[in-house]
Amino acid sequence: MEAEARPVRIAVDIGGTFTDLQILDARQGRVAAWKTPTTPADPSEGLLRGVREAAERFGFALSEVGLLMHGTTIATNAVLERTLARGVLLTTAGFEDVLEITRHVRRDIYGLAPDPFPCLIERDMRFGVPERMRADGSVETPLGDLGPVLARLRAAAPEAVAIGLLHAYANPAHERALRAAVEAALPGVPVCLSSDISPEIREYERLSTTVLNALLMPVVRRYLERLEARLGEGGFAPRIFLVQSNGGMCSLRTAAEQPARLLLSGPSGGALAAERLSRRLARPNLVAVDMGGTSFDVSVVQGQRIGLVTQGEVGGLPVRLPMVEMRTIGAGGGSIAAVDAAGRLTVGPRSAGARPGPVCYGRGGVEPTVTDAHAVLGRLDPDFFLGGAMALDLAAARAAMRARIGERLGLSVEAAAEGVLRVTNAQLAAAVRLSLFEKGLDPRDFALLSFGGAGGLHATEVAEELGMAEVIFPREPGTLSAYGILFSDLVQDIARSRLLRAEAAKAGEVAALLAALRAEGEARLAADGVPPARRAIEIAADLRYHGQAFELLVPWPEAPDLDALAARFHAAHRARFSYAAEGEPVEIVTLRASAIGRLEKPEEAAPAAPAARPRPGARRVWQGGAATEWPVWRREALRPEDAIEGPAIVEEAFATHVIARGWRAALDPEGALVARRIA
Amino acid sequence: MTTLGPIEIEVIRNALTAAAAEMDVTIWRTSRSTIVRELLDYSTAVFDAQGSNLAQSARIPSHLNSMTHALRTLLSDHIPPEQWEEGDVVIFNDPYCGGQHLPDILAFRAVFHEGVRIAFVGALCHHIDVGGLAAGSYAAKATEIYQEGLRIPPVKLLARGVRNEAVWAIIRQNVRKPELLLGDLSSQIASLEVGRAALLRLARRFGAAAMLEAGRRILDMSEAGMRAAIAAMPDGTYSFEDVLDDDGIALGQPVRLAVRLTIAGDTATVDLSGCSPQAAGPINATLASANAAVMFALMCCADPSLHMSAGCYRPITVIAPEGLVVNARHPAPVAHRIAVGHRLLNAMMGALHQAVPHLIPAAYYGNSYVTTFQTVADSGAREVLVEIEIGGSGAHPAKDGVNAYAAGMHNNSNIPIEMIEAQMPLTVMRYALREGSGGAGRHRGGLGLVREWRVDSPLCFFTANMDRFVHPPYGLAGGCPGATGRLLLRRNGEETPIPPKTDNLPLRAGDIVRLETSGGGGHGPPDQRDPAARARDARLGYV
Repeated sequence: MEAEARPVRIAVDIGGTFTDLQILDARQGRVAAWKTPTTPADPSEGLLRGVREAAERFGFALSEVGLLMHGTTIATNAVLERTLARGVLLTTAGFEDVLEITRHVRRDIYGLAPDPFPCLIERDMRFGVPERMRADGSVETPLGDLGPVLARLRAAAPEAVAIGLLHAYANPAHERALRAAVEAALPGVPVCLSSDISPEIREYERLSTTVLNALLMPVVRRYLERLEARLGEGGFAPRIFLVQSNGGMCSLRTAAEQPARLLLSGPSGGALAAERLSRRLARPNLVAVDMGGTSFDVSVVQGQRIGLVTQGEVGGLPVRLPMVEMRTIGAGGGSIAAVDAAGRLTVGPRSAGARPGPVCYGRGGVEPTVTDAHAVLGRLDPDFFLGGAMALDLAAARAAMRARIGERLGLSVEAAAEGVLRVTNAQLAAAVRLSLFEKGLDPRDFALLSFGGAGGLHATEVAEELGMAEVIFPREPGTLSAYGILFSDLVQDIARSRLLRAEAAKAGEVAALLAALRAEGEARLAADGVPPARRAIEIAADLRYHGQAFELLVPWPEAPDLDALAARFHAAHRARFSYAAEGEPVEIVTLRASAIGRLEKPEEAAPAAPAARPRPGARRVWQGGAATEWPVWRREALRPEDAIEGPAIVEEAFATHVIARGWRAALDPEGALVARRIA
Repeated sequence: MTTLGPIEIEVIRNALTAAAAEMDVTIWRTSRSTIVRELLDYSTAVFDAQGSNLAQSARIPSHLNSMTHALRTLLSDHIPPEQWEEGDVVIFNDPYCGGQHLPDILAFRAVFHEGVRIAFVGALCHHIDVGGLAAGSYAAKATEIYQEGLRIPPVKLLARGVRNEAVWAIIRQNVRKPELLLGDLSSQIASLEVGRAALLRLARRFGAAAMLEAGRRILDMSEAGMRAAIAAMPDGTYSFEDVLDDDGIALGQPVRLAVRLTIAGDTATVDLSGCSPQAAGPINATLASANAAVMFALMCCADPSLHMSAGCYRPITVIAPEGLVVNARHPAPVAHRIAVGHRLLNAMMGALHQAVPHLIPAAYYGNSYVTTFQTVADSGAREVLVEIEIGGSGAHPAKDGVNAYAAGMHNNSNIPIEMIEAQMPLTVMRYALREGSGGAGRHRGGLGLVREWRVDSPLCFFTANMDRFVHPPYGLAGGCPGATGRLLLRRNGEETPIPPKTDNLPLRAGDIVRLETSGGGGHGPPDQRDPAARARDARLGYV
């Protein structure tokens, strides 16, 4: 780990508009932030430019960079925009249509003109293979003559091949034999096995994950090749890690083989930052909310740990891989407000997005949005939006709010705007409550961590609605994801599905499975160059009562005792679902290992207080039907002794925060702005 | 009297919908049986203090728009509002007390704030088995309700929070899988507690009077939205009829579902007097089921932003004389009442096509393909699998139907093959789209499915209840009908048909049951189909 010994570590989070960087220089313990425009055609170009700019700005040499930790939406975007490889699916004969049939439950109950479920490989590119495994891993039908299917495969000339056979999670022998045959027939074409990427029971979800992975392999490989080609310049040769959806990093090799692990990694950085801040700020329980232009993402830190789930979804396609637990609703600054035929005020789910954007952006938007409501009320400074980079057209926002909301509801333009915000806050609060509620948690035991461009405008009011007493606005909220990435670890997830009763008679079988999981974890960490002293293996199990069809993820107890595991499951079930059935048999569905390679965490120095200290300004803001003067503070000019009494506004380059009436805010030693409800 | 502005109403409406969602999550996460957990056959809702639905979780249409009828009947005929106390949970499944069929157990709880009843919360689950002639309580040959399983009249399962152990014991003794049923019932009760907590949070913030007023205003708002949708339809009377193949008893005698829809201004009257008399077999529906189909059809035609609540029902009058298949008289069997629900929806859509042709798709497959396998091991141990399969959706005026799409009155997920095989002596041999099953047309109907199960236990009892084997899903505007369904037994290499309404057919190891479901009807003349779409159909083997 020679590269790791170099003093500078850089985390990069590439978003749709900006590439965010956070730089940690171990020599001073200084953490600095930088932002540069994203280069969508080849995001590695913007990445390198950002690194060069930061090196110049903060005074380090490219050869001093030891680690580059990289979050990218390249995989997610490829799925959403369907710029994927052309692939073939090989599956058990008779089940070629499972991928298209999906789970076939509809989401829009009352719709009369449904669209088909998304399906990434069409019917003429899904080939059946003569074979069949049973649920216990025994062979029902041996792998038959592959001649015909290989001939079809050669004729189809795919760019990638997905192989997903029934019960391959229990016995991968047929999938492996098939891979050997395919690799011989189509040398150089990437092949993905369901038993490698997602060896878990439930065929549709596993197939969906396998197909996504296979079709991403060529896309992500091309990107990584371009990235590696840019290295070497000016001695820039760091070890590179990529952010996965589970909140851990992986090596380039893993990313190239299992690119589906990068899907939905976008919110990982924010969640990691929340986890880190929960330690640094000594707040074990946090709800992190990231509100931008189109969405509101909620994640929960409980006991200083972010929650993981075993399945997510991208563009309507299930991804059966561990990922940071996140609830996303379509509520953001661009959410459109409207009045329907029945006189009902609606906010969202339609969004004006970044183009045309809110009316006040002056880019052709005509329907009033949440951002317009803030502008109308004076909560946003029309001359200091995005640090003054964009002037807001207040008159247009007012006109739209009046014509499309106010006049239809018989309300003044300001009352209409306030109404839009109240409805929005109710939606945001409901999303936070549901995220906690699912786990049997109470909002009053949590502090709200607010970030993203629009989060600060709503945070204290949402917290008020939820009965929460504290809101934290971290510093550099615009590059917080990169900050989270900066302090993360390598994590490799390994899973084995095996339906087993959690009872003494199965102890031997379970012990053997666990030993195999641990051995594989150790081997993978060794392959990534992690020395033994920095390795950790965490075991967990998906458990349920016999007959239940969904599982609870339960960490494995210290003692390898199935009774202790069952007791832990009963307790977790009671906490989450308000009942436990202690007389019922407990079933293990999947065993999981997280193999963790701990990266060194250099000390981070506290930020210095500013020398100059301009007095706060003031602005007229509407609330409760009247306009009053609210103080307006500059975030970078705040000092620890400043006490901000709500109502007040705190502005920084890429975010505006509202401190509501009844709340008081001050900087904490870490530089976070902490607002507390005045009892 | 409080006066709430449109903003407060929307905030409360959001919170009521969130409460129904929290109740929904509770059941999804805690129930035990596959029918609830994997088929998602349950619904949750919040009601006002008079029993009108205010907000619902988006699950199963046949449930949602029946729960108001059920609760109002419960309050008017069985347990009047003043007899409800804090902590009472009332359950029932009796179709002749406002329910639909016996597997659906409804549970309700009143919500009190400072001594004032401000709301009800309700949860409906389709349970895996409630006894009766056939496993799964889907007896296809029942001729009176007494054969269909345990009939629970409205009773307090919890009285002031205390379990009525006698009721629990009676249920336990009368069903095939008591631990699953009672587990699912516990989930229902937990969801009521969750809904109650959510409503009390709201009541503490806004007060009881405001809650009641908000309820009235939400109903008014839904009513206005529904009236706007109906007013957009041209005035007139539109008639349409469709048929069920038979009732499973009088074989080959079609059962008629005839709709006479009259649009007058912003009101709709649906006269069902032309429907067949109630049948001997279990396809009959009670008014709760028939209403749900009629309301659902009209609600589908409204603006997508319409808030779905009992206010939507106000401008709609349903005429359904007692003794017809849409309003059966006790003790007619009703287990497969969804058959009438599906077909009545098909008939409603056929009538609406004449009023708003640009909105209405051709017929979907129009039935729930219910199959039940009860395997018996050498030891005598039994396992039950209930599956509800689906077919293709009807072609829309602007696009093809969707292959394998849970459409219309139900909304079910399939059960993972690997999960079935890990738990039961059954092997699924095939799960595929059924080629050529979609109706031809300018827009093609969606394809149905093929599913095959092989019995691996020495003995297995098979029960089926399905339709559209004789009379196919219709096409519209010159489109062709979808294919009819098929159900076959393959034994020793020979295929023989299984009647689509079958009880307890004994099967043995090695037998294979093959189901082929209907595709949707086509829309528009087939010769007007775009050549590119035609070529794609051929390339993908859809036709």
